[in-house]
Amino acid sequence: MIDAVAMTNERNQMFRDLFSGKTPKRVPISNPATQDFAIQYAGLDLAECQWDLTKLEPVYDKFCQDFITDTYPGGSIRIPSHYQILGSTPIVMSSSGFMQHPEVVGLLAEEYDQFIASPYDCIVETILPRLYTELNGEPGKVAMALAKAMRAHSDDLAYLGTIRAKMNAKYGYAAMAGALTEAPFDFMADFLRSFKGISGDVRRYPDKVAAACEAVLPLMIKKGTLPNPSMLGYTFIPLHMAPYLRDKDFATLYWPTFKKLVETLAGMGQNVQLFVENDWMRYLDYLYELPENTIMRFEYGDAKLVKEKLGDKHIISGFYPITLLQTGTKQQCVDKAKELLDILAPGGRYWWQADKSVINFESKGPVAENMRAVLEYVHENGTY
Amino acid sequence: MDSKYYVTWEEYLAEHPELEGKPIKAIAPKIEKYEDAVFTFIMDLLL
Repeated sequence: MIDAVAMTNERNQMFRDLFSGKTPKRVPISNPATQDFAIQYAGLDLAECQWDLTKLEPVYDKFCQDFITDTYPGGSIRIPSHYQILGSTPIVMSSSGFMQHPEVVGLLAEEYDQFIASPYDCIVETILPRLYTELNGEPGKVAMALAKAMRAHSDDLAYLGTIRAKMNAKYGYAAMAGALTEAPFDFMADFLRSFKGISGDVRRYPDKVAAACEAVLPLMIKKGTLPNPSMLGYTFIPLHMAPYLRDKDFATLYWPTFKKLVETLAGMGQNVQLFVENDWMRYLDYLYELPENTIMRFEYGDAKLVKEKLGDKHIISGFYPITLLQTGTKQQCVDKAKELLDILAPGGRYWWQADKSVINFESKGPVAENMRAVLEYVHENGTY
Repeated sequence: MDSKYYVTWEEYLAEHPELEGKPIKAIAPKIEKYEDAVFTFIMDLLL
């Protein structure tokens, strides 16, 4: 019989130690697989389960039972109901049930000045009606659509929160709160100007891009602020565009407001976890400048170099290549976990996470078995 | 944040004189909570 309360206390202490730069009892682990994976692993229909959340409790129970982890696994920020109600174009469900983000343009280049003058007004009046068809119409219908969508979203989050609380109580996971925000430059790119659009803007209108990033920074700070900052919570910031920028554009357009964002959040006493997507090896000296104990989950790059340059100041995570779970043998997968433990665990400041999330499950494929072996290996061999 | 779509409690109170004499300590956190809930919902649509 699991003493879940004792396990939660132990795991909470591990993360408190990790996030404060102390060496924890062992390397904490987070299962890289998502809710999408869990639904497929349970043999259920992906689309149906995301609409009918009542099917998810046994899905999570099996997922938690079969894969060891220190934090609640899965979770989802892309619940389909409110996107459907709003007529979403930036987030849509594919025919296979995955929520996807097509390239969209919410802000036209000639609208930069409007955005810079008041980002939130521009979002409400111009960007959302362009991206969400039900927010573009008669005021009464728009109000009704917004009310229905918010209610649906609130109900869905409440239901998922209930499942999470049950799993935490049963399996003794660390009790961590989270917020989500973006680097201002990435926010300008992702849903507003698009990858293609912002790539042209940095050459054509660099001053406007810089001004837009400054203008939207207060919104990004507010969005990333936890109601009650604590040593057990963190703000998650996925980083997107920097590897696609020239060094000088990164220095002038990306870095200044991103640095201010992280410094402001850290100054409030909350942890920040960066998902350092793609390859940031040419920016390691910049990352070193961020507040001590910034959590950095890397996708690609040289783990040894990162440990050497950042490991005495920041908390390192990621690097484990999930593609190996699909292509490698169980021994190869475990060997890779050992290699990364040997590089990144000494001295603490290491949180085992993979280089990206595992979303797809094939019943006859090796991913589940390989992932289980890796998680168990790190759990058994990550003790300090 | 300077926006016509986001009001602080102080701005809200100034626009609603009918609240004078009401239990402000109970009203303020509720009004602020839903102001922030809409802000978070709106921003999540672009993340």
